[in-house]
Amino acid sequence: MAEVVFFVASLGAIGGAVGVVALRNPFYSVLALVGHLLSLAALFLLLRAEFVAAAQVVVYAGAVMVLYVFVVAYIGGADRPVRTTGPGLGLAAPLFAGALFVELCLAMLGSGLKAIDAQGAPYEAGFGSPGQIGELFLTRFLLPFEVASYLLLIAAVGAVILARRRRGLEEEGLEDVPTVTVADLFRLEPGVGTQAESGGMLQDRRERDERERKGGW
Amino acid sequence: MTPLAALDYYEPWWAQLAKSVVIFAVVLQMVPLVLMMERKLLGRMQARYGPNRVGPFGMVQPVADILKLLSKEQSRPHSSVGPLYALAPAISILTAVAALAIIPFGPVVDIFGTDVGLYGIDVDIGILYLFAFGAIAFYGLVLGGWASGSKYSFLGAMRAAAQLISYEVAMGLSLVGVIFTAGTLSLVEIVEAQKGMWYVVPQFVGFGIFLIAGFAETNRTPFDLPEADAELVQGYMTEYGAGRFALYYFAEYMNMIVISAIASTLFLGGWLLPFGIDPPGWVDPIVVLAKIFFFLFLFIWIRATLPRLRYDQLMSFGWKVLLPLATVNALVTAIVVVST
Repeated sequence: MAEVVFFVASLGAIGGAVGVVALRNPFYSVLALVGHLLSLAALFLLLRAEFVAAAQVVVYAGAVMVLYVFVVAYIGGADRPVRTTGPGLGLAAPLFAGALFVELCLAMLGSGLKAIDAQGAPYEAGFGSPGQIGELFLTRFLLPFEVASYLLLIAAVGAVILARRRRGLEEEGLEDVPTVTVADLFRLEPGVGTQAESGGMLQDRRERDERERKGGW
Repeated sequence: MTPLAALDYYEPWWAQLAKSVVIFAVVLQMVPLVLMMERKLLGRMQARYGPNRVGPFGMVQPVADILKLLSKEQSRPHSSVGPLYALAPAISILTAVAALAIIPFGPVVDIFGTDVGLYGIDVDIGILYLFAFGAIAFYGLVLGGWASGSKYSFLGAMRAAAQLISYEVAMGLSLVGVIFTAGTLSLVEIVEAQKGMWYVVPQFVGFGIFLIAGFAETNRTPFDLPEADAELVQGYMTEYGAGRFALYYFAEYMNMIVISAIASTLFLGGWLLPFGIDPPGWVDPIVVLAKIFFFLFLFIWIRATLPRLRYDQLMSFGWKVLLPLATVNALVTAIVVVST
């Protein structure tokens, strides 16, 4: 069972990754990336890292990719395929990819491939649980954790500053737009919006009151 | 071997199979009931009868509706993207049903000499499981809207995207207080931690935020902007008909049931009764179902009462009111928990 899930998820991950670069339509690229991230989450589940799997889905497949989908769908470009921006990029990209591949191979071969015949690390109860991860964040990895939080805070503040309303734009043409607040509901005349009004009874009553005030009888 | 099971007792395979079938069947039977309840209650609140032709008191109306939808011809617009158009409603219903697995209907009980927990699974990550499937559910709406190739569908999908992101944050933060107080993410343990006092009392701010965000997450009035029928025909599902429309419709009501179940689990003490009443084990699922129906009634009541928000009101309410409030709630809870 675990083997089947492993191969399905791995094929999904590789297929998704290839799809991201191979597909011409940006919207499908983004969807391929979503498939890739979900397959990775399945692999994390197989490794019993439930928390990491959930975080992967919530943060990446959820929040981050939602923005990608949003932007790609909004900007359009679905009918205009992406082009590379020039010969320089086409040359440099395979070069860097190759360098990364060689680096990973070196790192893997450097371990002497000792783990290939072994059973792998044994599973301990509680491994990968949210409690254990939280404890590690606040003890062993406190500094990286705090640095990352500050980075996120700065990014959030930066986004707010970039997106704020510039001066000179705010009131232009907005004065005559009527705004309705909840308080307005209570300022209306009594009876407005009721069945009595739609049945015309309110109108009748108003006219009667008017007549009485004028003393027309 | 099963990665998503943190069981500290032995549960035979037939028990797991049986309870998944039972939970699925029971909750699936609730959908027509909710449909009926909604139409009858809306009718009552709007001074009319509601459906009263099919069967006694019109009770068979939902079955007739569903049969009608399933027997209609499948069609799709020329401009739509075939595979994605068919896939999108399936994603919606899949994620809605998958979220049912973590809802606890009772503690571990003895059935035919074996211990069986009255819930699908009790995972370590608990609520995060719900949010993970909520994140995937988003693709059901957006793919449906995008793949339809129609501008109303597309606008509905974009609104759904913006709304879901905005309110998911507030929803997650509103639950942090509950998690702090209970000290666990597991839903079963959270219910057991509520013996003595339901979390709706100490966490009433979180409860309010969760309910409001829940209305937004399920696209219900007053937050039904993605399918605002006065502006967008029917939003992301405008181009859907027959069985696929039925899937979307089912998913929407299933999501309502899931949110109601989560709210009653986290804030109303799940299967617990107040004042220390401890009924026999078979009452527990009935208590949970009763609480779920209470929330479903609330959903329908609000729909009959409140008008739809404007889009910018929706956004600024989510980001400028709910989010800061949820953050302050989490902060205050943290301080109280640490200091006591």
